[in-house]
Amino acid sequence: MEIIKSKKEYDVIVVGSGAGGGMATKILSDAGVNVALVESGPYFDPANPDQQTQLKWPWESPRRGAGTNRAFGDFHMSYGDWSLDGEPYSSVDGTDFKWWRSRMLGGRTNHWGRISLRFGPRDFKSKDFDGLGENWPISYEDIKPYYDKLDKLVGVYGTKENMFNEPDGFFLPPPKPRLHELFYIKGARKSNVKVMPSRLSVLTKRINNERGICFYCGQCDRSCSVYGDFSSSSCLVIPSLKGGKVDLYVNSMVNEVITDNNGRATGVSFINKENGKDYKIKGKIVVLAASACATARILLNSKSKAHPNGLGNSSNLIGKYLHDTTGAGRGVFIPELMNRKIYNEDGVGGMHVYSPWWLDSRKLDFPRGYHIEVSGGMTLPQYGIGWNPNDFNKFFGLRTGGYGDSLRDDVKKYYGSTVYLSGRGEAIPLKENYCEIDPDTNDKYGVPVLKFRYKWSDYEYKQAKHMHDTFEEIAYNMGGIPLGNKPTKKDNYGISVPGEIIHEVGTTRMGNDPKSSVVNKYERLHDVDNVYVVDAAPFVSQADKNPTWTIMALSMRTSEYIIDELKKQNV
Amino acid sequence: MKRRDSIKTMFLGSIGASLTLESCITSEDKTVLDQVWQYNYGRTTEELKWDYKVLTGKFFSDTELSTIEKIANIIIPPNEYGSIKDAGVVELFEIIAKDFSTPAHNQYGEKVLRRGLIVFESICNSRFNKSILECSDEQIKSIFDDIAFSDNKDEDLQEAIRLFAVYRGMVLTGYFTSEIGIKDLGYKGNTPNVWDGVPEEILKDYSVSYDEEWISRCVDQSKRNNLAEWDEDGNLLT
Repeated sequence: MEIIKSKKEYDVIVVGSGAGGGMATKILSDAGVNVALVESGPYFDPANPDQQTQLKWPWESPRRGAGTNRAFGDFHMSYGDWSLDGEPYSSVDGTDFKWWRSRMLGGRTNHWGRISLRFGPRDFKSKDFDGLGENWPISYEDIKPYYDKLDKLVGVYGTKENMFNEPDGFFLPPPKPRLHELFYIKGARKSNVKVMPSRLSVLTKRINNERGICFYCGQCDRSCSVYGDFSSSSCLVIPSLKGGKVDLYVNSMVNEVITDNNGRATGVSFINKENGKDYKIKGKIVVLAASACATARILLNSKSKAHPNGLGNSSNLIGKYLHDTTGAGRGVFIPELMNRKIYNEDGVGGMHVYSPWWLDSRKLDFPRGYHIEVSGGMTLPQYGIGWNPNDFNKFFGLRTGGYGDSLRDDVKKYYGSTVYLSGRGEAIPLKENYCEIDPDTNDKYGVPVLKFRYKWSDYEYKQAKHMHDTFEEIAYNMGGIPLGNKPTKKDNYGISVPGEIIHEVGTTRMGNDPKSSVVNKYERLHDVDNVYVVDAAPFVSQADKNPTWTIMALSMRTSEYIIDELKKQNV
Repeated sequence: MKRRDSIKTMFLGSIGASLTLESCITSEDKTVLDQVWQYNYGRTTEELKWDYKVLTGKFFSDTELSTIEKIANIIIPPNEYGSIKDAGVVELFEIIAKDFSTPAHNQYGEKVLRRGLIVFESICNSRFNKSILECSDEQIKSIFDDIAFSDNKDEDLQEAIRLFAVYRGMVLTGYFTSEIGIKDLGYKGNTPNVWDGVPEEILKDYSVSYDEEWISRCVDQSKRNNLAEWDEDGNLLT
């Protein structure tokens, strides 16, 4: 087999261009470090009209936006979803795990919900509170300066609330609540559930002259063409390319970290997806940011004499402690919101208000909390609108179904009258939940794929049950009617399938002890002094907070550490 | 490279070497290219290949398409905004029949969409000894009166009731995702604007108001262009 080798040696090779890889590329290259950024998908710029989906109308897609090619619909900005042609994965023992892969410059930051929450002091030391899981080897104070820099560099709106475990930051002002959000505020307060402005990385105000300001189309999931929301592609990688310090390799699937006889990394090998050829590039340092499971896969597939069971895997913990956020949701029909007067209420691409975790877990039968997200309103029609035009007739003793002009009126009558409540909670990381190499299956590039084993524990089921109890109470207090049946034990309380919330973390967890962790507190492999991991794999636990903000703050911190090491010529 | 040319290159590259020269484009290919061009919505090369598959070939016969149009016009009759034809509903049936063709879709085109026509035709035939196209609107409505409502428990009609619900869903979704349907619905967004809260008269209609403390911290849109600056405690100064 022909392998094409490049003579150039980079200071740092970064694998993956999402939140972690994009941030590392920016911090390293700004400091003058020579970086090779290797991305498995194509180049993507939300400002490129050939790639843009923002502001498209549903009829601009022949299938009116239906989810045939993209799981969340044609206009959703992710190349790839829970399945990729020719790149399978499986689950064992009747378990199920769904693995989302976005193969494009910027990765999942092009479609994410922009919910940008800091982990709080408790989140780094949860074991001290409930004896479960493991503490992080760092504290909130260690990471706070990086969250602060991140807020100013990338931008996030929110408000100072002075809550113990929901740290404040440098916030842009939030947008005003929408009408259904005012209903939610009323219902939540009546239920004694804390409610406050949400915290999203959307620019409600100018933060620099390179990025535009939000123009309220409500479509952050399509990635913003004026860079008014945060995507790693538009806000980190593309600006970094202008500095001349970064060589970008696209459509390049890294399959292995190459090591020398002493077991130190010397570079990576990758397959160019366009010509099918194998390449090797050299680097003094390798930074993995391929996403928690893809990074675990690369490390486990990097076997050598020095690392017989995978690179950095002397603890045998790579792939273990995989965990995703828990999720459950319920729709609520608000009769008062029928027959709405129509005005533009797209707002930002996501909620303007939310509920952070508001209770004391010591008084509950599950240890960790959740937050509540709210959606609804008079949103842009997409494939599926009007499918059951008058289902809500049943709440008024009227017939459902029919045909003719009245259907038109029914759709208008109920348009904008549904609110959706979603709980997003913290799971306990377990060693028994993992991904590993499936020795019997290769992907279309000939590389062994992953097999998953993931089961929720009773803690998560009880948490989901609590979410549903809360949703019902808030629903009635909003003057609404909860839709469908409340899920019971038999339906696992409606909890999401692991992986469905797309927050998987934990596969190379961080710690001080090389026997019980894979990377140290600077996200460097214990076993190899020139390989780092800056995606969500090093997470010891993930709070009920969306992981992106913490991925980026940690990546910033690790990148500064790497710059220091290079300066000291320790590498 | 001009945008249209770059799409053409991507597209030709994707459908094979035989078409790489401009001169080799047959008139049929040109029709397809124009069709793909009509749908210009940020596709990847793989997605363009899929669209090519969906936009070419024929699933329904012309008679079937005319039948769908007739049914659709009774489900949603034309009004001042336009008709089923203007909303492209019949084309959507044809496209979805070919598009929903992954294993997970379990032959949706054949087992659901075409099956619907077969079942509706057979009821029509047994009642009136005529095809749907030959029946009057009144005759078709008399059938719909039996199969369009979910409270009809007649066992012989359950399949027809289930399939009619799909047809109604497709017609309504097609209508309300079309240009005229969205105009009819009255949706006002998908356009750049500076959102500054729920209009005052709407707040009054619902007897709700903005909480003073909450709103005082929200964005002041007159300052949205001022570069953000904070003091060291994170208080916004601009």
